[in-house]
Amino acid sequence: MSMPGPIAITGMGAISAIGEDVPSNYRSLRISRHGIGPIRQLDTPHRGRLLVGEINMSNEELVEQLGIPSGEAYTRSTLLALLAATEATIGIDLTDGSRTGLISATTVGGMDATERYYEDYLTSETHRHYIPTHPCGYSTEQMARYLGVTDFVTTISTACSSAANAIMLGARMIKGGLLDRAIVGGTDCLSRFTINGFNSLMIYTDGHCRPFDEHRNGLNLGEAAAYLVLERAELVRRQTKTPLAYLSGYGHANDAFHQTASSEDGDGAYLAMKHALEVAQLDASAISYVNAHGTATPNNDLAEGQALLRIFGTPESIPPFSSTKAFTGHTLAAAGAIEAVFSILALQHQEVFANLNFSQPITVLGIVPQTTRLSTEINHVLSNSFGFGGNCSSLLFSSAHD
Amino acid sequence: MIKPIYIHGKGGISIQPTTEPDYFFDSILPYTQNPIPARDPDYKALIPPLQLRRMNKSMRMAIFTSQLALREANRTTIDAVITGSGLGCLRDSERFVESLLADEGQSLNPTPFIQSTHNMAAAAIALALKCNGYNMTYVNNANSFESALLDGMVYLSEHPDHTILLGAVDELGERTTEFWNIAEYLKQDRPAIPTPLAAAANTPGEIAAEGSTFFVASRQSGPSAAGKVIAVETSLETSPVSFVNQFLQKNELNTGAIDAVLLGYNGDSRYDGIYRGISQALFTGVPCVGFKHILGEYDTVIAAAMALALQLLREQRIPAALQLSGPPPKELTRLLIYTQRRGMNHGLILIER
Repeated sequence: MSMPGPIAITGMGAISAIGEDVPSNYRSLRISRHGIGPIRQLDTPHRGRLLVGEINMSNEELVEQLGIPSGEAYTRSTLLALLAATEATIGIDLTDGSRTGLISATTVGGMDATERYYEDYLTSETHRHYIPTHPCGYSTEQMARYLGVTDFVTTISTACSSAANAIMLGARMIKGGLLDRAIVGGTDCLSRFTINGFNSLMIYTDGHCRPFDEHRNGLNLGEAAAYLVLERAELVRRQTKTPLAYLSGYGHANDAFHQTASSEDGDGAYLAMKHALEVAQLDASAISYVNAHGTATPNNDLAEGQALLRIFGTPESIPPFSSTKAFTGHTLAAAGAIEAVFSILALQHQEVFANLNFSQPITVLGIVPQTTRLSTEINHVLSNSFGFGGNCSSLLFSSAHD
Repeated sequence: MIKPIYIHGKGGISIQPTTEPDYFFDSILPYTQNPIPARDPDYKALIPPLQLRRMNKSMRMAIFTSQLALREANRTTIDAVITGSGLGCLRDSERFVESLLADEGQSLNPTPFIQSTHNMAAAAIALALKCNGYNMTYVNNANSFESALLDGMVYLSEHPDHTILLGAVDELGERTTEFWNIAEYLKQDRPAIPTPLAAAANTPGEIAAEGSTFFVASRQSGPSAAGKVIAVETSLETSPVSFVNQFLQKNELNTGAIDAVLLGYNGDSRYDGIYRGISQALFTGVPCVGFKHILGEYDTVIAAAMALALQLLREQRIPAALQLSGPPPKELTRLLIYTQRRGMNHGLILIER
């Protein structure tokens, strides 16, 4: 069997608290302008108490921008997803006969409508057309219809690693000969469900999150959607298109330690990165930048830091790394996709984006993230995503010049 | 390319006594209600009581049926866990919404939030088995199990020496059932199991149920193999007859090569015509087997149909309560399962002895 070539990335789209498309996200990353602030859109008593990475557009504005007829039931995660997926597929003919799949990740699904109309549905007919929007799969199905994808449609929900897993499945299905092209990524809007959920876990910082800092004390939540278009590399070559980058590796493992906490040695994280390097047939020393999961919770950053030390050997041999969660907040099922876009931007522009709000390394680790924007040669980027249930994934992106 | 996978063990919880050894649908528990909760087995027999107390119903059902599957396959370890669930841990989701609506801003109990996460059943299995391997959860409405099965086939092509757990779980939620009632998904008029399927008896609506089914799968045949999965395919929206036809062509089969077809008739007058159309267009003279009129409807009921198909292959007969039409079967070597839900989420699984 011949070695399957890498997967070409031929499109990307993103919307987050630091920008409504990829170029505006890049501008914010470049000038280290974060998007964390008070809640403006979501109606919750936590307004004024929490800092989050919210997208400053109302659902009505999103509907208008997408040209969706008013009166149709689209929840916020789906609206964000449609914006990002539309950007990702610009210039790509989805009706060219290639077998195209849509693999989307979400944990919120239509929960924002369900929590809003939980009592209202029982007594009033006004919002009942939102009832079918609850299941996560419904969001992907609306996307498939909007984009015109019919060959394969599915939805992944594995907590905060969901989008990385969607990207991985797309690559595996292309390699396995089941698809020629896959639109892959994830979306999660802010909802009272998740805001209160993470509050109940007492996992929020009282200010701005400080990934990999000794005094980090929790995360900011955020909302985002991001999608990539993956294509079989030979197909892209035949069309003489230049890909944005390649997805050369992916790895997945389960920590099998605790429902929500990571093992102290970061077993799952270590195995995920190790598998990604194996799939790409690369040595750890080939990695030029790690876009870390780095939620800034005491537990995650310690476990991830240990795993980085296990992969790279010593603090000195870890390549420049940063968590971009201080820009966007932790965007849950979208995190793996928005950070995939950031990893590709790092490859395209040959720069490492800053890990904001850092001042003092974690004593037991002694590792220091990249705290300012750094222009440097970047050929391979590892991007980590870890979630509840010990779900750990790592993606490896490589430069298109290889 | 994707190769067939062998099933070495299975376990199922449903509204019928499917956890009882050798149960084969010769006696059917009747119901006259909607929704119908799954029959709880003695979970303590396979789950330590301390862990059991903290688990929601999806986690219990998934752990219990995955253990049944592992026992049947005579295994204690596994390399990967791949699951599907249309709606995830619904009861905990509802509990957490209700607590935040009552006390938002206060400190809420985090357990229902944590356990509302869709991948908690797969995670609980990984924890119970200390499995560091691949762990995935698909939540794609009524095609969730099919996605898990497809991923399992891709995974085993990549890792031909591995053995994996593949499964599905869906639970009922009280408020969600009220919502589905408002949306007119559910049968209001004299709901019954077995559900009458004759065209004249049909009324609109589904009988909502719940359940969990798990399988142990690998690329190796061997004496424990109950059958093999040749192919699986889904379509969100399609023309059903040509969808089935193209699937058969792709697998180089004509309709005469199918020894029995399992169709997802559920007594919903709005959609059962889809099955009748397929039966008449493609499978006249082929034994037709129903399962939703006995097991009820839920997003991942096709996993229970796959367990049933494997039983049919082993027993070489079709229980009277399940055969809907066609002659008695001759030899059962190749079975086709087709189902859809509310005219969407079409799914096909091809099974061989």
